[in-house]
Amino acid sequence: MTRIATWVLCFITSQAIAQTRISGTIRDGHGESLPGANIFISDSYDGTSSTADGTFSFSTEETGKRMLQVTSIGYVHFEMIVELTGQDVKVEPVLQEEVSELDAVVISAGSYTAGEEKRRTVLKPLDIATTAGATADIAGALNSLPGTQKVGESGRLFVRGGDGSEARTFVDGMLVLNSYSPSAPNTPSRGRFLPFMFKGTSFSTGGYSAEYGQALSSALVLNSKDKAELNQTDIGLLSVGADVAHTQVWDKGSWSGKVQYTNLRPYMNVINQRVDWINPTTSLEGTTAFRQEMGKGMIKAFASVSQTDFSLYRHSILDPNFKQAFDLSNRYRYGNLSYKTELSNGWGLRGGVAYSYNRNEIGLDGNPAEETEEGTHVKLVGERSLSRDVEWHIGAEVIDRDYSATRYNDTIRLTLSKSFHESIAAAFTEAEVLISRKLVTKVGLRYEYNSLQQTSGTDPRASLAFKPGKRGQFSLAYGIFRQSAPNAYLSLAHQLGPSRAEHLILNYQILADQQTFRVEAYYKRYSNLIKFNNGDPGLINNAGYGYARGFEVFWRDNKSLRNVDYWVSYSYLDTQRDYMNYPMAAVPTFASAHNLSVVYKHFIKAVKSQVGLTYSYASPRTYYNPNQPGEKFLSDHTPSYHDLSVNISYLPKNWLILYASCTNLMGRDNIFGYEYSTAADASGQFPGRAIRQPATHFMFLGVFITLSKNKSMNQLPNL
Amino acid sequence: MNQIQLYMKLKSTLAILAITLSIQASASDEKFMQAMLKHIDDVYKAATLQEYQSAVNAFDRIAGAEKSRWEPLYYSAFGNIMMAIQTSEAAKKDGYLDLALQALSKAAAMAPEESEIAALEGFVHMIRVTVDPQTRGMEFSMRANQAYEKALKLNPENPRAIALKAQMDFGTAQFFHAATETACQTNEKALLRFAENQSDNPLAPKWGESMAQGLRRQCSGTSKN
Repeated sequence: MTRIATWVLCFITSQAIAQTRISGTIRDGHGESLPGANIFISDSYDGTSSTADGTFSFSTEETGKRMLQVTSIGYVHFEMIVELTGQDVKVEPVLQEEVSELDAVVISAGSYTAGEEKRRTVLKPLDIATTAGATADIAGALNSLPGTQKVGESGRLFVRGGDGSEARTFVDGMLVLNSYSPSAPNTPSRGRFLPFMFKGTSFSTGGYSAEYGQALSSALVLNSKDKAELNQTDIGLLSVGADVAHTQVWDKGSWSGKVQYTNLRPYMNVINQRVDWINPTTSLEGTTAFRQEMGKGMIKAFASVSQTDFSLYRHSILDPNFKQAFDLSNRYRYGNLSYKTELSNGWGLRGGVAYSYNRNEIGLDGNPAEETEEGTHVKLVGERSLSRDVEWHIGAEVIDRDYSATRYNDTIRLTLSKSFHESIAAAFTEAEVLISRKLVTKVGLRYEYNSLQQTSGTDPRASLAFKPGKRGQFSLAYGIFRQSAPNAYLSLAHQLGPSRAEHLILNYQILADQQTFRVEAYYKRYSNLIKFNNGDPGLINNAGYGYARGFEVFWRDNKSLRNVDYWVSYSYLDTQRDYMNYPMAAVPTFASAHNLSVVYKHFIKAVKSQVGLTYSYASPRTYYNPNQPGEKFLSDHTPSYHDLSVNISYLPKNWLILYASCTNLMGRDNIFGYEYSTAADASGQFPGRAIRQPATHFMFLGVFITLSKNKSMNQLPNL
Repeated sequence: MNQIQLYMKLKSTLAILAITLSIQASASDEKFMQAMLKHIDDVYKAATLQEYQSAVNAFDRIAGAEKSRWEPLYYSAFGNIMMAIQTSEAAKKDGYLDLALQALSKAAAMAPEESEIAALEGFVHMIRVTVDPQTRGMEFSMRANQAYEKALKLNPENPRAIALKAQMDFGTAQFFHAATETACQTNEKALLRFAENQSDNPLAPKWGESMAQGLRRQCSGTSKN
């Protein structure tokens, strides 16, 4: 037994005898010496750091074949096998530079990403809240980016010659139906989601992934925040209402809830409106979010319930003294549940269920009309790295929608109704291949089956990015996109097939630290748009077509001027379409050839305030004038649109924010179009009326208070 | 050989094996201690990026060999934070802080009840704020405070947790032109703990007292105004 002990002791001490000396120089890919690198034998203490001239030398007591590693921040990990025998070893490791986030080649055609952490982002959530003129509305802030057209009476996103219904919103990958709050005719609506619910936003103006369907022009992809970090209560007192929110956090999850009450009456009483309100808009809204970490994944649930009501008088154009009462009551519910996890076999899995319910009850002079849409979306996506350079996605989804509308027709004394039930089953697959460090490509395919027409189709998507140098990058994207006909038409004619759009986009961008420059050109071809033959909605078909082409420039600079952040967007659009009841191809009323936005934000430390200014310009838009002969269809133009908005956020205490904003400082009477009487006057002319801003300015005041055990924070993010 | 003899032999063989193994264990313990003490001294004395980097490299090597000890990861993170403070370029600063956070999350998995790890995590978030205060201020000061709270919950007497929290509160109060007294009082409490707190663990962190003294000077400066 002593023999064993001796042998063991010998073994231990023998380890201390043989010493190998390892030396050399560490260099980078350009042959420059690399100081401060860590050179060591794996799983041992033995190693050293390279000196200022990149050289190193150390001794090790390890023996046999061992792994020598070299690490240095910003460089790819280096490994090699060395044989340790007591003989000196000389090595000359060359470390390759790691591709940093800013330097990596990434497909950028068509899309603007916004997030909190990434440097690559174009807009941060805070930017959305602090963009003057946007009044903390997501669509409002995105309207300051290229590719959008200002349509002041709508408030929605109009992208590259597409109308408001062609831009769809997705929350955590799940489709949202009716993503805007209802608004009075010709007054701007707001998105239903608050910017700070999201950690990242990707706004795509074309050429998006095969994962997103049922959107002809644009996909707005919002990714909700993960688990909240702190318990807190927030109170907001606004000139148009009040809200209270609470967040409760536990070890692996969090819950938050918010109740918001809006009543425009006090404001409307003070500021004279061009709308003849009976009861200005009131709304009560409750939202709740729940997060729970489970294993390697996280469950996210989100729900929103709201009720909005208003009533007003609509005055006849022919005789302004003749008025009709119009009232609207909207009930909206949205819920989604999503889960994302990593499986042990290398697969990533994410999926979700979303439910939307939207009901409008409308009274027109006491005659009821109602409209209900109910939708369910189920989706499952698997993701896997096939190799270091190939990422593969595959997924399937079902979008099921029920729509019905009824209207009491006073003339024939009958209630007319129309409805549809549509199920869309889709499957998609996409692969992203890094061909070299300068070239990446993404190729995808999306298959859709529509139960209503019992037809199916396959849409290809492809994109490519090439980065020849350190900063500049070219991107190219192509894709075919389809979207079901708008509800009002699909419910009349179930055989209506989906409309189609084909996108081709070329983009060049330069990303530097806190500076972004992009220029993008595109061509978009529409087909299968809705068309009424001879203006008869009974003979409705898919014979419409159109095109949109243009280019856009974007510059953002957060660096050159101290405490100043500004961006400039310019979009040129040339579009025509022959759809709906158009007698010929013409420029649609929502399109403007030139759009310019200049957003300026200045943080003034001495007064603890941020001041923001936004200037927007849109060139004249067409409008329909029934007094013109048929061949001059849509040949009249509105005046151009100008707006200069300001906002100020003042933080006097760390738990208090005072916020004020005002639109249209120049007091311009912007005209968005004209509407005409359906009946001619005595002279045989159809009298018209300008569609204008409901009031010259929109002013907003808010006080935001945060109650938290932790006094060193406030709720700026909740503006 | 009868059963008893066989049993005795087996027992003594096992005993010897156990002794030799424990010799080896204590030898490696000794090696660990000596290496750690040397490099802890290095990281405290470091002044240049190169000196910090070389200490961090040493801790990373030890951490690679000693996969169940949190201390080398802790000091690697500490060195990375110091480098982040010395660096001016935003992307590089973030790079060091990312490495610090990586090391700390590994350390926290080994010693989830260690107050020092939580306190140092708060320090990472606090430095993160300085990279882009306007957009990061809210989120990361929140995270820093949360980490300090966790550190103080695990050990209310941890002088570094108290001192870091005082730094954070002082900075916030200054930003809002609010009274800094509470922060300064907290800092005095930290200084008291630095004087008292002597851990039995020779590897326990000892830094932070001069930082607190610096804040004390700032505190007495502002009170004169």
